[in-house]
Amino acid sequence: MRNALKLNTTVGDTVKNESMTTPLLEARGITIRFGDLVANDKVNISVKAGQIHAILGENGAGKSTLMKILYGVYKQDEGTTFVAGEPATLHPPARAKSYGIGMVFQDFRLVPALTVLENIVLAMPRLGFWLNRKNLHDQILETAARYHIMVDPDAYIWQLDLGQRQRVEIIKVLIACDTRVIIFDEPTSVLTPQEVESFLAMLKKLRTGGYGILLITHKIGEVINCADYVTVLREGRVTYHAGRKNGFKENELVKQMIGEKEISTVNKTKGRDSKKIVLRVENFTVKCDKGRKILQEINFTLKSGEITGIAGISGNGQRELVEALFGLRTPVSGNIFLENINLVGSHPKKFLESGIVYVPEDLIDEQVVPGLSILEHMILGGIPVTSKRFNVDWRKAHFDMVGLEEVQRLGVASPERRVDQLSGGNVQRMVLARAMARIPKVLLVSYPSKGLDIFTVRTVHGMLFSLKEKGVAILVISEDLTELFSLSDTLIVLANQRVHGPHDPDETHPHAIGQIMLKGGEE
Amino acid sequence: MIFVTEVLTNAIRAGTAVGYVSVGEVIGQRSGVINLGAEGSMLAGALTAFALTAWTGNPWYGVMCGGISGALMSLIHAFVVITRNANQLATGLAIMFFGQGITAYFGSSYVNLQISGFEPIALPFLSDIPIIGSIFFHHDILTYLSMLMVPLVWVFLFSTKWGVILRATGERDEVVYAHGKSPNCIRYMAVVVGGFFAGVGGAQLSIAFSHSWMENITQGRGLIGVILVIFASWRPERAMLGAYLFGGSQALIVSLQGRGYNFSSFLLFMIPYILTIVVLVMVERTGWNPMPEALKKVFGRG
Amino acid sequence: MLAKRVFFNKYSIGTKITMALGICIVYGVFLYTQGANPFLIYYEMFQATFGNVYGIGEVAIKATPFILTALAVAIPARVGLISVGGEGQLACGALSSTFAAVYIFKDMPSFIGIPMLLLAGALGGALWAVVPGILKIVARVNETITTLLLNYVAFFLVGYFIYGILKSPDAYGWPFSPRFSDSLRLPTLEGTRIHIGILIAVAVAIIVWYVTMYTHLGFRMRVVGGNVKAAKHSGIIVERMQFVTLIVGGAVGGLAGVIEVSGIEGHLRPMTGVGYGYMGFLVAWMAGNHPLLIIPFAILLAAISVGGNALEMHSGLNSSIVLILMGFILIVILAIGKRGGK
Repeated sequence: MRNALKLNTTVGDTVKNESMTTPLLEARGITIRFGDLVANDKVNISVKAGQIHAILGENGAGKSTLMKILYGVYKQDEGTTFVAGEPATLHPPARAKSYGIGMVFQDFRLVPALTVLENIVLAMPRLGFWLNRKNLHDQILETAARYHIMVDPDAYIWQLDLGQRQRVEIIKVLIACDTRVIIFDEPTSVLTPQEVESFLAMLKKLRTGGYGILLITHKIGEVINCADYVTVLREGRVTYHAGRKNGFKENELVKQMIGEKEISTVNKTKGRDSKKIVLRVENFTVKCDKGRKILQEINFTLKSGEITGIAGISGNGQRELVEALFGLRTPVSGNIFLENINLVGSHPKKFLESGIVYVPEDLIDEQVVPGLSILEHMILGGIPVTSKRFNVDWRKAHFDMVGLEEVQRLGVASPERRVDQLSGGNVQRMVLARAMARIPKVLLVSYPSKGLDIFTVRTVHGMLFSLKEKGVAILVISEDLTELFSLSDTLIVLANQRVHGPHDPDETHPHAIGQIMLKGGEE
Repeated sequence: MIFVTEVLTNAIRAGTAVGYVSVGEVIGQRSGVINLGAEGSMLAGALTAFALTAWTGNPWYGVMCGGISGALMSLIHAFVVITRNANQLATGLAIMFFGQGITAYFGSSYVNLQISGFEPIALPFLSDIPIIGSIFFHHDILTYLSMLMVPLVWVFLFSTKWGVILRATGERDEVVYAHGKSPNCIRYMAVVVGGFFAGVGGAQLSIAFSHSWMENITQGRGLIGVILVIFASWRPERAMLGAYLFGGSQALIVSLQGRGYNFSSFLLFMIPYILTIVVLVMVERTGWNPMPEALKKVFGRG
Repeated sequence: MLAKRVFFNKYSIGTKITMALGICIVYGVFLYTQGANPFLIYYEMFQATFGNVYGIGEVAIKATPFILTALAVAIPARVGLISVGGEGQLACGALSSTFAAVYIFKDMPSFIGIPMLLLAGALGGALWAVVPGILKIVARVNETITTLLLNYVAFFLVGYFIYGILKSPDAYGWPFSPRFSDSLRLPTLEGTRIHIGILIAVAVAIIVWYVTMYTHLGFRMRVVGGNVKAAKHSGIIVERMQFVTLIVGGAVGGLAGVIEVSGIEGHLRPMTGVGYGYMGFLVAWMAGNHPLLIIPFAILLAAISVGGNALEMHSGLNSSIVLILMGFILIVILAIGKRGGK
């Protein structure tokens, strides 16, 4: 079975011609479901030797799922996969690997405490007992040199930045000698603009080297830069397919990715005119967990009675920004003025007491305390606590909670239920109700509609509007442009370590925002 | 000068048993399992080796069986911790108590017995080198073996494919799994080998160092061996050095007191532990903690 | 770390009885191979522990330090910290109270002296816990390792003083501290060795239980222990909470030391309370760090060790045979107590 691909390695004219016609890897009619969700619906895709095939789509369009099927991580429910024209089962990954398929994951499969060389050794199954470091050293450098990849085999992974780690992953895939098809999962999301450039140059070298390349991305610029073919996925279906010969039209691709969504602004109420600046962010620079500056010298303001939407592809500093605005992350430099009091350097406790409330994205990880009930969660930075003999007056808290308008309107589950046994949507309802119950000065919300049904989403939006009426300054982070356009009074885009905007959603077309998001703000 | 050589010679003599445990633990902990039960393994090894040597007269049987009994003790630890996924610290302590009990009970008839066991051998030529010869080359065979063992373990860990896999297991077992190896299988082997080493360390203590058996003969040396691994940043050569440091603090006291200096030995005994804490603080300052990630989980968050 | 891990809540009564019987049978077979009648031995062990007032008293005396050192583990565990420092805290509590008894409160009447002594011991244990506390908060060094290391340092510290300035001239060369004056000994029940230490231990357990279960403070501790991020988000100063719980745990561990010295031995020896800290860690683990469940588990382990001493007297088997039983029980509980897999 393994030999099927090796045929192509002898580059003769006939073979080359054949390989131009027979795809190295092909998938027909792939369907996979997770519960009710159809992640891929009758997807066809193929890649030939010496081709870069880009798979374009928004987050959640089913790109990663499709690639994991091709790498054998998941098994498709329907459809067939072909290797060099022959039907082949790819599951599990070891088998896909033996067919010459390699994948460079978004979350790298590297051991930080080991050196580059040792990590590569882990991926080489046919190695003897002894480690011939010198030999391996040369082998790595040779492979790296062929594609102009810079690596130091003796560096430790933890010393490397993300771009360098990615190169190690790529070498790992290349050095396994059977590899013919390489799948890249959002490779540029961790790279700086300069690194992206050299990465794309390397991709082209790999293409010349005869590899078949599948490139998952949501950045249109990359597609236009290097792809031979592009397939656009939306909600699990292929919506568009084109080759370079037909030409890629940027506008067409944006439209196909985002879809013809109806942007309704029906419910939006204009806030009061006398808008007062509540929160002012000045020259703000924040580092991400990896120690890289993810936002640099940004400035913006939040006004009372106004919803500010933050758009952007996830991973562009949204999380770091709100965490810093709540005191969970100390900024490298810059100031946060809440009504002229600088809060930088204070504990979240101070932020909370000053009237900032934060609803994070990953509620299970950051908000749920195992074993505690809804009522117990509600008093955590929510319902004010009255004490009774050293203890929380739970009866009063219970009474307060049941009486809350927000709790009733959002349909929060009964106070005695344990939160760690609730569904994601119910947790979201609880956390939102708690945040609103406080009537804060500033409300920071990440992904307010994540995991909620349409009806609840409307309720949540309604509650945000009524808070706005009460004069709260609200910051909403979302990737869903529809949501942002229907909620926001002003829009800011985070891309390329900078803030772009503010834009007025009534006077800006969603596609323009989408372009800034996707192209990293090269306006 | 005589004083220095005497202390250093005795440092090696007294440190070897701990060194065995510690180097064995390096292997185990590199795979992500900490085994406080090494104390139990050591005791089991010490008694088995002593009993077999007394019975057969051949100390080599003693060493082999001592190692095996140490390995068996750690097999219990491996099963409870890896297969049953129990708390590593609690299990290790339970194994330690179990080992103390079982050896105290079965060893009661061996107390007050003297055996010949291994005697120090002066290596030809090498032992004639001034100073160095008398420090390093007037020891029993198990001490020489321990000196040989350190580079062997080092080479295994850093220059073989399986060494890389072992270290990867202790860091990110999902990566090892993704490359088609079973992390649990590797951990079992590492823990059992570590137990074997601890058993041999116990054997050295009873048949080469003290030539006698008493209840709880190890007096916490097993636990010390486990802790030294942390001090040694999980490197075998430093673990051995730590063991000699430990042996040295004991030897120094004996030598000083033998010369009529009257001072408290206890402050000296503290040194290895305080040093370890200092090392830990410095390690945290560098921002890179060499502790295998799987062990970080055992010790709770950060 | 929370009470849901409590082992004995996870299984039905039937399973628990089967398990206990299984342990008894396996151990019985072992005893039989050692030439003893297991039934007789079990009977004797029962007689020696719960068969008469004396036995019950001995068990209570033995259980007292276990309860306190287990609490010294359970309190930090409430906020998610794993301390194994009961051993060192006990030693330092014993040491500081011995200093206090010998140099300061020597001639005090009981009603002042004993409370001051307890305070001194608690202070000693707490001070010993300050070191890992500071290392944890300031230098971010893991508390499990530092507490483990400091156990040894404490042990040698006791040795240093006992062989040094605290050594009694009247002890015929033995490394003992001077005897506590009678007014500084814990009051005992008329005609027995049972002292008020057990009451103190139970009272502390109840207080800890009340505070952790029924106060706002305990609630906030549970939040920190359950999810540090959620705690930070709700405005709890996590570092302060961790520091304070470590120190309170240390104080309770220190109490175990005072009670051991002033209640039973009357002077400090190098080996006073050695091993009790680790026993406490196991008790806390078995009880899932539940302050009240700690009491029965401490009594169980105490009964086994008291029963062992009795065995030696009656059946001629070496008393260490019960250490085997104890280790066996612990290993079985650990192996079965938590489901394998993730």
